[in-house]
Amino acid sequence: MLKLLSVLTFLTLTLPFLTHSFSPDHPTDRRILVLLDDLALKSSHSLFFKSLQSRGFELDFKLADDPKISLQRYGLYSYDALILFSPSVDRFGGSIDLAAILDFVDSGHDLIIAADTNASDLIRQIAVECGVDFDEDPAAVVIDHTSYAVSDTEGDHTVIASDDFIKSDVILGSKKIEAPVLFQGIGHTVNSENSLVLKVLSASPSAYSANPKSKLSNPPSLTGSAISLVSVVQARNNARVLISGSLSLFSNRFFRSKVQKAGSPKKHEKSANEQFLTELSKWVFHERGHLKAVNVRHHKVGEADEPAIYRINDDLEYSVEIYEWHGKSWEPYVADDVQVQFYMMSPYVLKTLSTDQKGSYFTAFKVPDVYGVFQFKVEYQRLGYTSLSLSKQIPVRPFRHNEYERFIPAAYPYYGAAFSMMAGFFIFTVVHLYSK
Amino acid sequence: MATRNLGGFLVLILAIAICEAASVFQPISDSHRSAGSELFTANDGSFGSLEEAYEALRSFEILGIDKKSDIRTATCQSVVDKLGSSSSAPKDLFYALKVNSILKCKVNDKIFEGIAARLKAIANTASSLLDFYHSIGSLVLIKDQSSEVDVLLADAGGIFHSIKSLSQSDGRWRFSSDNPESSTYAAGLALEALSGVVSLASSEIDQSKIGTLKSDILKLFDSVEKYDDGAMYFDEKVVDLRERQSPLSTTASVVRGLTAFAAVTSGNIKVPGDKILGLAKFFLGIGIPGNAKDFFNQVDSLASLESNKVAIPLILSLPATVLSLTKKDRLQVKVNTVLGSSAPPLTVKLVRALSSGSKVASTIESQELKFDRESESHFLDVPKSVDVGNYIFVFEVVLHDSEDEKVYATGGSTQVQIFVTGVIKIENAEIVVLDSDVGSIETQKKLDLAGENSLALSANHLQKLRLSFQLTTPFGNAFKPHQVFLKLRHETKVEHIFVVGKSGKKFEIILDFLGLVEKFYYLSGSYDIQLTVGDAVMENSFFRAIGYIDLDLPEAPEKASRPPTPAIDPYSKYGPKAEISHIFRVPEKRPSQELSLIFLGLVFLPLIGFLVGLLRLGVNLKNFPTSALPATFGILFHVGIAAVLLLYVLFWLKLDLFTTLKWVGLLGVFLLFVGHRILSHQASTSAKLKSA
Repeated sequence: MLKLLSVLTFLTLTLPFLTHSFSPDHPTDRRILVLLDDLALKSSHSLFFKSLQSRGFELDFKLADDPKISLQRYGLYSYDALILFSPSVDRFGGSIDLAAILDFVDSGHDLIIAADTNASDLIRQIAVECGVDFDEDPAAVVIDHTSYAVSDTEGDHTVIASDDFIKSDVILGSKKIEAPVLFQGIGHTVNSENSLVLKVLSASPSAYSANPKSKLSNPPSLTGSAISLVSVVQARNNARVLISGSLSLFSNRFFRSKVQKAGSPKKHEKSANEQFLTELSKWVFHERGHLKAVNVRHHKVGEADEPAIYRINDDLEYSVEIYEWHGKSWEPYVADDVQVQFYMMSPYVLKTLSTDQKGSYFTAFKVPDVYGVFQFKVEYQRLGYTSLSLSKQIPVRPFRHNEYERFIPAAYPYYGAAFSMMAGFFIFTVVHLYSK
Repeated sequence: MATRNLGGFLVLILAIAICEAASVFQPISDSHRSAGSELFTANDGSFGSLEEAYEALRSFEILGIDKKSDIRTATCQSVVDKLGSSSSAPKDLFYALKVNSILKCKVNDKIFEGIAARLKAIANTASSLLDFYHSIGSLVLIKDQSSEVDVLLADAGGIFHSIKSLSQSDGRWRFSSDNPESSTYAAGLALEALSGVVSLASSEIDQSKIGTLKSDILKLFDSVEKYDDGAMYFDEKVVDLRERQSPLSTTASVVRGLTAFAAVTSGNIKVPGDKILGLAKFFLGIGIPGNAKDFFNQVDSLASLESNKVAIPLILSLPATVLSLTKKDRLQVKVNTVLGSSAPPLTVKLVRALSSGSKVASTIESQELKFDRESESHFLDVPKSVDVGNYIFVFEVVLHDSEDEKVYATGGSTQVQIFVTGVIKIENAEIVVLDSDVGSIETQKKLDLAGENSLALSANHLQKLRLSFQLTTPFGNAFKPHQVFLKLRHETKVEHIFVVGKSGKKFEIILDFLGLVEKFYYLSGSYDIQLTVGDAVMENSFFRAIGYIDLDLPEAPEKASRPPTPAIDPYSKYGPKAEISHIFRVPEKRPSQELSLIFLGLVFLPLIGFLVGLLRLGVNLKNFPTSALPATFGILFHVGIAAVLLLYVLFWLKLDLFTTLKWVGLLGVFLLFVGHRILSHQASTSAKLKSA
């Protein structure tokens, strides 16, 4: 009886956990480790945390130098994502260090980093590894004298009202962000050769990154819209990273604050920080923009089964179904730019797939007259979506000896010659034998 | 060591979190009220526990939010249940009574009597601080709620002594006698419990004991920690405890203990007024906490400070620290208590104003602010001598009544950073292209930097570009903004930024293109000119495209560094690729069918010739055997040959090689046999003929 009870408790305790944890079929993160400099952040940034908790995330708050923290136990990760709200930490407690965090991301987990003025070298290093360079001057902050947030109490124009968002519905949601986002912190640049980093929130052309208290003699290293305020990275393994130069971006104070951008007469009752970060965190934690492809099929026209080999010049049909994860269920993905390649060393055929608007994509084409080992390849990379990389190998053979054309009109004289010869031979045998 | 580090960065972080307020602390306002009613939300009229219910009700009470009726029924029910149950722990009773003190539920005096008796027994035998705290706290609450019940402690001195015995030499307390670790949080609880003992004592507590306690409090205040902006707080020294109690709850506990103790004892506790003010600043500096517990701690402590007997902090706040000269803003200063109620009659003095550039010289003489009764604010017109800039104003609060000075803590002088903004005049802006060697002017253009410009200049590498303008403040002084950048932007998005320096009264930059060719990567072509002038106190900061300059630079030498590769546009990078379709091999060209048919006809001509020839020769079949058997063999032989030929036709049409060979083999044997018979017959006939 007791045994049964314990089994039951075990099941009731672990079942919801098992069904909700991260898996390829359920790509949303569940368990998030939040590392804080100070537990007071839990209350000063509670609106952000609450929005995560209300969406079903389990947040585990720890001090960044807590000696007991670790990301793995017995080789398994105990968390699906990590939030670093500890800009000043020089060294994490427990077994977490730079390499551990990079391994965590390399194994497909997500990360949110918030830096701030006086960000520690460790936080800067993590950002550099993600392809983002914060301004090296520790006292520098982003200043903008033409698009700051108008305020009666903050006169140094370091609270920036920015509305230069990336144009991507999948990253920022389909609802337009009307109000500007408040930002106060340090700027960064994204490495131009790194194609995985995207600027989500950029500074205005008049912004610059400098120490507001000292006079400028040299041009600042970061200026204009090259300054990124918030960036995201989607690694090749679809791990997503959010990097912000401001911790107060996430704070209740900015979430609730009224905004008026300098030079604009429009006063917004609420800044867009809440909408911006809610939508962005949906993206980072894989509630949106996660694609999967199933039912990859190909066959000859008029047949249903997948052949083991194609002959050159065969007509074939190719189809694939693509679904997008919507936090709770897989919905058909609708786009008109999915392309398939028929590939051997280089694409021989590259064709845009037609769609039935219900997630199914299909096309038909003729196999090239080159034999060898080909691949059907779908390399689908779109801004904000996880990349799809499908490949299926298929050999292509030439004609068999009996598959060539049989009766060629141009050869009729030859055929005729042979038959007339045969007829002549027959007559000759008769004549030769019996003629007197 | 680790502890010190932790403390260090806690201070740093909180300082960052607080520095937004930059030493201007605002009293509790409406935003607190709306946040409060959002934060404490009851699920269908009841809270998770009575402790939460008390925190919510107490916060509502302090902030003047009327929500009692919504939660009254359900909460009162659980209060009565808890009080009626004989197995309730002192902690549950404590919070039930606290809720009851606000909601005033209907509780029978009999129940109170029963509880009081139990609590007294606990208080007399308790050994842990929390037991003392809860039992004595409950007794105090019963005393307030029911006058009938006898709650007075017979052995108040003894209880006082046993609580005091848990205290440490540095003013902190232990939670129980077998726990060696002392805690600041516990000190607050102990003070509150002791003040309860004093108020419940049936006979006066020995004044000397209270005297030592007062000196303990002063020792405790020696350990107070301080931020740069004047905010002060208590924190646990031990890391383990710190994880359980944040600085906020520790400080709140001490404040509650201190104010409760000050309320029940006569005579002064000599805690300096600025420390009390520092604590008040700490609570206000947090802003609006997002967590119910923190919110309660903040509001409750501020309420305790609001009416304490040690010193009531007065907060000097400025609704606006950015003053615009163009809008003729007046300097407005408010002095309130922490919860925002009005202060006693007082005068606010502006002692001096320091320009942030020069830390010494004061720009204004000492001035008094005028009090406006309606808005309860002190006003001052910005003095004529104050030009645009960044100042530190030093205010002093002087209470009119010298008696008030004992009651209130004003904290002496308060420094506030003030930004005085105004419109900066831009004059004499011009852009000139000069010939390098002689300095003669090639082109000269006037600029109107307030409006749009679209210049079209051209220069080569032997020339210079000079941009100059003057900035003056509304008072005619020269102005030096923080940001004066000239940006040249090539078509390929390569940017070059120059800081425009100040020479004399003018801002001037001379770009000598000869020295810059390398920096420009020898890129000739059109460069956009953009000028950014901005400062925190400049109301008309601008970022303006002036026009473009067409530069003719020499060819790049081989060793010159290449311009940086421009960033890839993320939108175009991800677009679909161009379609590729395979080009199939063209089949070989063939003659037309007609031609083949004509040749087919020609091919049959020899056969026809052969047949005609045979007929002309007069062939006959006279040699065909006449007897039956050889004739049969003869026919079979020719049928066999015809069959082989037919097989060839079939082979051409459909048969494969192996079937054909099989049939050829069979037919071959047959042909051999019949052929041999007919040929030997023919041979014998011809031999007979010859011999005959």
